[in-house]
Amino acid sequence: MSITRRQVLASGAAAIAGSFVKPAIAAKEPILIGYLPALTGPSSSTGVGINRGIQLAVQEINAGGGIDGRQIELITRDTQSDPTKAVNGAAELTRGQKVSVVFGPVNSGESLAVVPLLARTNTPQVHPCWVDSLTDPKKYPMCFRNAPTNQQIGGAANRYVVDVLKRKKVAVISDTTGYGTASVNAYVPMLKAKGAEVVYQGNVDAANPDLKPELLRMQSAGAEAIMPWSVNAGFLSRIINTRGQMQWDVPIVGQTTLGSGQTQALLEKPEYWAKVYPNNFRPVCSAADGKLSNRTDAFVDRLKSAKIEMGDTLLWWIALGYDSPRMIAEAMKNVGTEPEQVVAYLNKLKEFPGVYGDISFTPDRHDGYPDDEVVMVEANSLKNGSFRLAPGYGS
Amino acid sequence: MVQSIVLSGVAIGCIYALIAITYNVMFSASRVFSFTAGTLGMLGGVLGSLFIARMGMPVAVGFLLALAGGAVLGIVTEIVAVRPVLKSLDQHLYVLSTLALALMVQQFTAIEWSTEPQPFPRLFDIARGEFDQQFWLPMLACAVVIVGLELLYRHSLIGHAFLAIAEDSFAARALGLPERGLRMASFALAGVIGALAGFAGGEMLLAFFANAPMLTFYGFVPVALGGMGNNRGAVVAGLLLGLFQQSANFLVGGIFASVAVFTVFIIVLLARPEGLAGSALRRRV
Repeated sequence: MSITRRQVLASGAAAIAGSFVKPAIAAKEPILIGYLPALTGPSSSTGVGINRGIQLAVQEINAGGGIDGRQIELITRDTQSDPTKAVNGAAELTRGQKVSVVFGPVNSGESLAVVPLLARTNTPQVHPCWVDSLTDPKKYPMCFRNAPTNQQIGGAANRYVVDVLKRKKVAVISDTTGYGTASVNAYVPMLKAKGAEVVYQGNVDAANPDLKPELLRMQSAGAEAIMPWSVNAGFLSRIINTRGQMQWDVPIVGQTTLGSGQTQALLEKPEYWAKVYPNNFRPVCSAADGKLSNRTDAFVDRLKSAKIEMGDTLLWWIALGYDSPRMIAEAMKNVGTEPEQVVAYLNKLKEFPGVYGDISFTPDRHDGYPDDEVVMVEANSLKNGSFRLAPGYGS
Repeated sequence: MVQSIVLSGVAIGCIYALIAITYNVMFSASRVFSFTAGTLGMLGGVLGSLFIARMGMPVAVGFLLALAGGAVLGIVTEIVAVRPVLKSLDQHLYVLSTLALALMVQQFTAIEWSTEPQPFPRLFDIARGEFDQQFWLPMLACAVVIVGLELLYRHSLIGHAFLAIAEDSFAARALGLPERGLRMASFALAGVIGALAGFAGGEMLLAFFANAPMLTFYGFVPVALGGMGNNRGAVVAGLLLGLFQQSANFLVGGIFASVAVFTVFIIVLLARPEGLAGSALRRRV
């Protein structure tokens, strides 16, 4: 086969173009990461906390040279806590902005709408939502969860009640929302499988102003622990207040909102918050001596030096936000920004060292949070967004 | 247990009764069922918490301002949602217009106040007990409203004018009564009563925007059971509703309590469509 002078010139020109022009453009172009937080609206407290961590992490990554010289650009679309707006934002990020990866949404209701949509657009997605069905490597092979599932949350609470507190007769109560009823339906069989007796099981309207009838029914059934599953601070505070009024010395173990500032504000007496144990996450909790782990302590120092407010939010929200872009950046540093390569890297991710927790995925399991890092804490130990581990956990 | 059922049942029943009276006062003046009644109740709690707990005003000042807020919303309801549809009452457009206004106020409250329930302040600095102020305040408010309305309607000229408008607005206008002004005054009065319900029940219900639909719903039950426009019937039905609801909470609990309440509600209406204390409507042909 003969080669003409024109062919040689053309291939030479192509080689020169390939070796100079392309890297020059790539070095300048930022990497676009789509971000779907709920920064406003009724479920925005989580998004506001997560956002503080994300912004700090992106600043740090960019200040450190970015990813192979390319800066990260967060393309943010506020979902306003509304699944419809989350879907619109996801469509615009993938079709209009053509982002490389999407982080979020950060609330389950919005993710339920967005995850199937992103699965059709060949875009890798990382989200921190707890609803179990929000990851499925077969249906959504590009979707990863860097947070616990509802099963892990309920499992940790059940373990604490049955194995640590040694309570065998349990009352499980929720509000009538989808989250509440689904939680009770999921957790009651788990409790029974652990050998506990569920002496009371009920779904109650969260607007019910008087929960004394329900607690009296629990008491007369012989309940030794109350497990409420609701994100409604009013509902949870009524349970805590009624227990206090009845002077009923029984632990309350359950959802993270039990330890929120909103719940605290609705308590009739501060001492009613004793023996209330909400879910939390070991790496961002202090041990009995009040000390955080070295990794978390260093993170808190960085937050302080960056003047990031922690008192009005929760440390695990900030830590989760901080870890998410760092995990994505690590994947891109190793394999580039092509979707298939990012997913292939995440599929083999092993113990990514996050402040919130060490995240691992496999091709068959896209739920990356470790079981034993989901713990219970003392609600009344809240300080700077962090809690002390509940009695019974080792340091 | 019986004491707890009676105390909380009567207290909640009094709040329902006050919301039912709010419905009735607006209905008497306009023949319109304004679905802003529950919103007025919600606003009483939210404004009370805003003025006293958040802004640090004295209880008496906060109380008066909360009632004034209710009166203003009552007047706005009359102007915005009732007056424009009075000419076509038979088309029941007021259902849409009053519901729309109620939803707007509710959403505005959620955005500007909070989507989370907020604490309502203790009004009197006295120790908590079995017969706590969160129970006796709604009872006291209900008693004051019943006595006040009786005195107003029976012993004052403006009360007689209210009754005249309620009885036959055309005849009252023919006699020279200022129908529009009296209707606005009635809505302002209803606003005060609705806000009083939410303020007196603030400690039980908390200052929460989502109380509006709950009160709109449960406040309407005594209206239907007690007979439309019948305040005495509304009070009796409200108290019975509160007691029955609490008893159902004790006996069957959870969502089954609500099912029990509405089963009884439907059975009563099937047996007496005009309500327990109402009289059958006679139409002249």
